[in-house]
Amino acid sequence: MANIKATDLPAWEKRVQSGVHFMLGNYALVEGAISAGCDFFAGYPITPANEISERMSQRLPEVGGKFVQGEDELCSIYACAGAALAGGKVMTATASAGFNYMQEGLGYCYTVEAPVVIANVQRCRGENYASQADVYQMRYGASGDYEAIVVCPSSVQELYDYTIWAFNLAETYRNPVIVMSETTIALMRERLDIPQAGAIELFNRRYTTLPPQDYQPFAAAPFGCPDAAPLAQGYHTIYSLNPHNEMGSIDWDPDEFERLYRRVCGKIQENSDKICRTERYDLDDAEAAIVAYGSEVRPALEAARMARESGYKLGVLKLCNIWPVPEQALRELSGQVGTIYAVEMNNGKYVREIERCAAGKCAVVSVPKNRGLAHTAREIYDAVMRGVK
Amino acid sequence: MLHYPQKISLCGFGGQGIILSAVILGTAAVTCGGLYAVQTQSYGSEARGGQCQAELIIDNKPILSPIAEKKNLLVALFQTAYEKYIDDLEEDGVLVIDPQLVTRQTRKVAHTFEVPATQIAVDLGNRMAANMVMLGFLSQCLGTVSREDLRATVEKQVNPRFVELNFQALDAGIAYAKEHHMHYDGEQEGA
Repeated sequence: MANIKATDLPAWEKRVQSGVHFMLGNYALVEGAISAGCDFFAGYPITPANEISERMSQRLPEVGGKFVQGEDELCSIYACAGAALAGGKVMTATASAGFNYMQEGLGYCYTVEAPVVIANVQRCRGENYASQADVYQMRYGASGDYEAIVVCPSSVQELYDYTIWAFNLAETYRNPVIVMSETTIALMRERLDIPQAGAIELFNRRYTTLPPQDYQPFAAAPFGCPDAAPLAQGYHTIYSLNPHNEMGSIDWDPDEFERLYRRVCGKIQENSDKICRTERYDLDDAEAAIVAYGSEVRPALEAARMARESGYKLGVLKLCNIWPVPEQALRELSGQVGTIYAVEMNNGKYVREIERCAAGKCAVVSVPKNRGLAHTAREIYDAVMRGVK
Repeated sequence: MLHYPQKISLCGFGGQGIILSAVILGTAAVTCGGLYAVQTQSYGSEARGGQCQAELIIDNKPILSPIAEKKNLLVALFQTAYEKYIDDLEEDGVLVIDPQLVTRQTRKVAHTFEVPATQIAVDLGNRMAANMVMLGFLSQCLGTVSREDLRATVEKQVNPRFVELNFQALDAGIAYAKEHHMHYDGEQEGA
């Protein structure tokens, strides 16, 4: 796998704005994308994601990239698919209601293995209220067989860092990657430290070394990722949504069908341990743990500190990505603590994955909040302490 | 000075530059002061005249919850905003108002400072600079961020045509605090 530094990118001095900033979350996400080498963006306006398009339209021309305002969401995701397959590092951005429209194109990207990064700034009540209600839509929204990768930043800094991570994952596995943002962090200004460009590690997709006549665009190890072909150098490739064989031709043979989808899913499933990231806070001696993702991590950490101050040994497992499910970390945790509190900003959804991984080894308590507002630390603390004598 | 974490709410009506003042304060704290800051906001869909509030937390360490349930500094530039947010202020918090726009106080706050920021800005030739008068006052009275850091940030963030006016407004706010011996020292209060 090619491994480069941001300093290897064209116009890297303009791409990486090293230093300390006080920046809007949506802008930080754009800066992450530009630092990762993003050179194409297509999007359609929607709040609370508009500042992403706005800044992309300023920043991409500065670094030699292209910005397209699509006529709608479907156009935007397909434009990204095309640009990605042509060799670009690409992104689109939308918010919950707009993400609905993208599902067809997203399904296409999974099947043709187009490395597209999608920012979904979740909102609710048709307005700029905070929500994490789309956690299952980001996993299962499109039809067909595929595995989603969804990373969950919890701060403006992580909007920058995780967007770079998202591009690296997309390139490594040739899979769409969703940056799960939220109104909460997207419209927040916060300290952002952008590192020196030489310290930013990037991964680019692997290109074939075979001559065009020997190249098979979808040939790969059983759970591997196919090598890409350079554009306009004699490599002929069909990128079809339909089941296709290793040559890329539409092929309904059951063996080819089974092999294709087993590989497209398997390349993520079999590498789940490499993809998943979690962070453990005060868990070594914990009696109970909060599991949280996205912006809910922050009040969760504060609630855990409050509990410690009152003598209750509470820790936090932060999920840096929710898909694929960090199963190993959740299994380990469930064998270690008496109770897991699943804190999330919806009606209580991801708690089902946590229950599945815990498999009865510990109690799992859902702590949902679905009022268009993030949990306060006090609310989480109270929910936990209600169960403590 | 106001102790950390500084949990600040700036409120008024849309068009008073409430959010810009919070952004400048946060930017100065982070990029010049090396501190941590989180700024969130709420405002009506009206371009002018709706209720507007910006929340800002400044701390010397990373900030967890981005919203503080109780503030230790409330700056109110309009009566209805004052009424909506006064209960968010901690018992021993600091209240700063423009007395010409907040004319009726419903709660007695131990540390209340009245700063006619809008009139001072009008005297300087542009009422839109009231927000900068207030930032200058906060710098001098509460030690939020220094005059130099505010000036450096204004220079970067504000339309060049208005930088000089904003500098004057900052200094007018500082001068007002000095002339009226308005100084808050939270640590002495606690001692």
